[in-house]
Amino acid sequence: MNCESARQLIDQLLDEELDAGLRIEVRGHLADCRACLEAYARLQDQKAEIQGYAPHYEAPAALVASIRAAVEREAAGEKAALAAGTKWRWAAVAASVLLAVSLGWNFATLRSGGINRDMLEESLLTSHLRSLIGTHLLDVVSTDQHTVKPWFNGKLDFSPDVRDLSGGGFPLAGGRIDYLAGRTVAALVFHRRQHVINLFVWPVDALAGASPWSRQGFNLVHWESGGLNYWAVSDIPVSELQQFQALYEK
Amino acid sequence: MVSGPALPRPARLEWFEEIVVPHLNAAYNLARWLMRNDDDAQDAVQEASLRAYRFFDGYRGGDPKSWLLSIVRNTCMTWRRRTQRGLSTVVFDETVHGAARESTAEEQLVDAGRRSALRDCIEGLPVDYREVLILREFEEMSYKQIAETAELPIGTVMSRLARARQRLEECVSGRRRAAGV
Ligand SMILES: [Zn+2]
Repeated sequence: MNCESARQLIDQLLDEELDAGLRIEVRGHLADCRACLEAYARLQDQKAEIQGYAPHYEAPAALVASIRAAVEREAAGEKAALAAGTKWRWAAVAASVLLAVSLGWNFATLRSGGINRDMLEESLLTSHLRSLIGTHLLDVVSTDQHTVKPWFNGKLDFSPDVRDLSGGGFPLAGGRIDYLAGRTVAALVFHRRQHVINLFVWPVDALAGASPWSRQGFNLVHWESGGLNYWAVSDIPVSELQQFQALYEK
Repeated sequence: MVSGPALPRPARLEWFEEIVVPHLNAAYNLARWLMRNDDDAQDAVQEASLRAYRFFDGYRGGDPKSWLLSIVRNTCMTWRRRTQRGLSTVVFDETVHGAARESTAEEQLVDAGRRSALRDCIEGLPVDYREVLILREFEEMSYKQIAETAELPIGTVMSRLARARQRLEECVSGRRRAAGV
């Protein structure tokens, strides 16, 4: 290796960006060439000087607080906008069912234990509402459970149980990937007359809860079966929601 | 990964705490070096953080720090272009910075002198060189990460870094000669 090549590579040597072969070649040249060795030493000195003497600025605490506040405001604004935007849409959709199946949700892994039942309810409702308002209802469009189920392969760390309940008046429409409380979930979409049902499926935990209960005009039904948690949310009567539950459990 | 639908609100706030907040020091440090003053740096980081929150869909996994810093540097570069557009001639950072600052008594001390010389010389580098140097020496990013963050080919990262170091060396040794050190 000549000096010209060596000089072009000493930065990469310094930054540990050379593969083993070139590293040996450049080091070999430095061992024999005083001029290049000095150039390399100057680079090393400069790096050390920057690390030791150049100011490393830290974000002022007031800035971090101000950013958090701005983001919270933004989040609150979105929520208000979402609620306002859903009213007319909601009238058009008339009624809808949101159903969530949980296959094992480890609450403990969620940051700071911040997820509680309130937040779960809100997440379920928000995801459902967004799916109705937005364009992102389906990633895979199929009435065939044998098409929808394999579509999730490799996209999730679990395999949702996909059923077509068209015999009971709840035909399968397809599915998509969604997010709930910081994790990826499967969302299966069913139709009920003109209504949309989102069935959210994700890995389970033992979140116990009385059911049914109500929130913001929605009814939520929760049951457990075969080691799975099921969450159904709807603005239709509880009785009809429970009919859905019975069908799904059959 | 499928491009995601919007996250529900609590998950987005959680995501923000996990992906963005841990890198705010790095974000501020980069902005502070690029803007060269505290006020502009704070404004830039504030705006960049909100952009990160709003456009989290653009986050496709991978290194969150590179992603955030890329938003920060884009914000800074946009501001710099905007504020310089009104000037009739190209402004070189060297001349912007050139006005000699009064040395304080403290800075007469050798260490302080080294600090201010280094700071002045780094701040005096053209911003394109300064950026790669900061990402490499302060954030200890690999060339690949720098390339992603600054949206540059890796070869450009390497050549800018080499030139940045060369210029910095010339500037610092020039200051030393001038100071008779
Ligand atoms: Zn040589």
